[in-house]
Amino acid sequence: MASLTLYPAEERLEGGSRVTFDLYMITAVTLFVVMMLIGLTMRMTQATWLNVNPALFYRLLSMHGAGMVGTASIATTAVMWFFLRKYVGLHLWAFVANYVLFMLGALCVIVSIFFGGYGALWTFLYPLPVHGMGLWSNNASALFLVGYLLIGVGSLVFYLDAAAAIIKVYGNLGRGLGLQWLFGGEINPDHPKAVVASSMVIIANSLGILAGSVVLVMNLVNIYYPQITLNALFAKNLTYWFGHMYINATIYMGVMAVYELLPRYTGRPYPISRPFIWSWAASCLFVIVVYPHHLMIDFAQPRWLTIMGQVVSWSAGFPVFCVTAYGAMTNIHRSGIRWTMPSRLMALSMFGWAAGIVPAILDGTVRNNLVMHNTQWVPGHFHFYLLLGVLSMVLALIYHVLGNRANAVPNSGLDRTGFFVYLIGGLIFTLAFLSAGHQSVARRMATHLPEWTLTDKVGSVGATLVVLGMLYYAIRIIVGLLGRPVVIDTSHAHPADTAG
Amino acid sequence: MKPSPRSSALAGAVLWVILALPPVRHVLESELTPQVLVQIPLLALAGALLARLFSRRLDTVMRLWNDGGIPGLLLASVAGMTWMLPRLMDASINEEGYALAKFLTVPLLVGVPVALSWPKSGFVTRGVLLLEVVATAFRMGWLYLVSPERLCSNYLLGDQQRLGKLLVAIGVVIALVLAWQLIWGRVRVESPQ
Repeated sequence: MASLTLYPAEERLEGGSRVTFDLYMITAVTLFVVMMLIGLTMRMTQATWLNVNPALFYRLLSMHGAGMVGTASIATTAVMWFFLRKYVGLHLWAFVANYVLFMLGALCVIVSIFFGGYGALWTFLYPLPVHGMGLWSNNASALFLVGYLLIGVGSLVFYLDAAAAIIKVYGNLGRGLGLQWLFGGEINPDHPKAVVASSMVIIANSLGILAGSVVLVMNLVNIYYPQITLNALFAKNLTYWFGHMYINATIYMGVMAVYELLPRYTGRPYPISRPFIWSWAASCLFVIVVYPHHLMIDFAQPRWLTIMGQVVSWSAGFPVFCVTAYGAMTNIHRSGIRWTMPSRLMALSMFGWAAGIVPAILDGTVRNNLVMHNTQWVPGHFHFYLLLGVLSMVLALIYHVLGNRANAVPNSGLDRTGFFVYLIGGLIFTLAFLSAGHQSVARRMATHLPEWTLTDKVGSVGATLVVLGMLYYAIRIIVGLLGRPVVIDTSHAHPADTAG
Repeated sequence: MKPSPRSSALAGAVLWVILALPPVRHVLESELTPQVLVQIPLLALAGALLARLFSRRLDTVMRLWNDGGIPGLLLASVAGMTWMLPRLMDASINEEGYALAKFLTVPLLVGVPVALSWPKSGFVTRGVLLLEVVATAFRMGWLYLVSPERLCSNYLLGDQQRLGKLLVAIGVVIALVLAWQLIWGRVRVESPQ
């Protein structure tokens, strides 16, 4: 069971662990700000407030997509590492290797986009990378794909190290996931939720990375041997199997922060239960087979895959989400929780996750998908889910760590203002996307019709607020992480005693 | 009962000789599928069996450079990749020099390094290698299936496509076995030797 001690000794970061964790988080928040600025530029271009030529727009769109997915992944990997290391013996070198490979991969992606002109978006859908039409070369596309391969290998090394550590303690990943308690038996109340979630992420995302490594290399083969042509639909299936799993894994890694930290802030235990184990087992299976909801408008897709995509879309997110959101609400209800930055961000993350998956379930229905999938409804969904859900989970952990180092739970007036600006901006920004989707405004377009620009302008205002909020968070976090920690033992203090 | 190093090495040497016999070569090289899925893996196996004889002696020599088994497995991967090239497989049938190279390099540069490095390697190294084997089976299978022309001039297009299907099937089987083993099986995670 997760500890109720606010800052348990076994979580303290020292030496190389501290440096690496700080490096992950400082890199992540810095990249988030840069990627958000790129997003704001694109939104303002659509609103006709800025004049960015379409060739540059698609480069920025490629950078924003790849950059945000990669950054969300690296930040939530740090969340998983932070909690999982308490229960199993993770190697620091694997965590460092992931960071180094991520940075090398990111460098390849950045060079391919800003020096090579690559603009075939983060999804690199075959055969677009080889159709640069003079805007980018095949070498630029190849560099982009190699960057992805490096990032994927980094994740794989981290997952394999985590798998080895879980297997060493629990016997296999199934036991880490708690499958032995699905149909009976007394559940060990001390079985950590972080181990359950990590086992699920390792199983699902390793398969996704495997699919990605196949389709990435086959794209590379096609770049240099164009006579080898690929089945575009099959390549798209593999691409989305990889892409969907990779970005989905971020919320399953991020939510460990809620499982571990929420009970400390409410002062109430948050025990593991059979429904919890069932939900993670079900989601482990569903997340692997849900990806066809990205291909519902591909008329050549086998019918059974499309039907599976719809049925599983309705159920994939629900088990874990329902158990987590219900569990979180009952944990908070009448707990006397004092609202500080970490607890506030955790509550926001539950809201972001809850509200963010509703548009996805609507879009995962074939009839709706036919008219909505290529509209801004979809960016409305995933920005909601990532910006207010995943990112809030990451920020909750970082604020918690800042509190540990300062020996005072962060809750200053500036923090509260930053939170409010981020929340209001996030809501305006994402609802503008959803509203535009409702009006059938096409997505991924550099130039918008005059009738579409109202939601673009509203969205730009929201995005500006989000950037301001995130900029504050980033400065606050970087200064806080680099600052000297206060050395006073308050390991038994309740948040109510230390909130500043 | 585990066979002694001497009998393993003997078995390896016999296997090596059998594979080099002209009638056996003729059967295994008459089609692409047996060359890729039978001859080359058996040559690697012959090398792995031979390696048991001198593993202790080589172990001392190689301790300095085969840390964690990674250099050895990298060497085996590079040598293995070389013999995935259709042009080389073709050449090993047409030219005796290439045939000799295949019969020497696959056992000595694939089988021996794998046998010497696998016990030294940790879970992560083995995991990366096995996943790469699965991914390579899928990639090569896909390549053989979609290639519009014969990649080896000695073999027919139908043979090439049959190999492609088998490679994809092998990839699926290995992936399922690995997944089953990791999720439900008994996996011993030990520190590398």
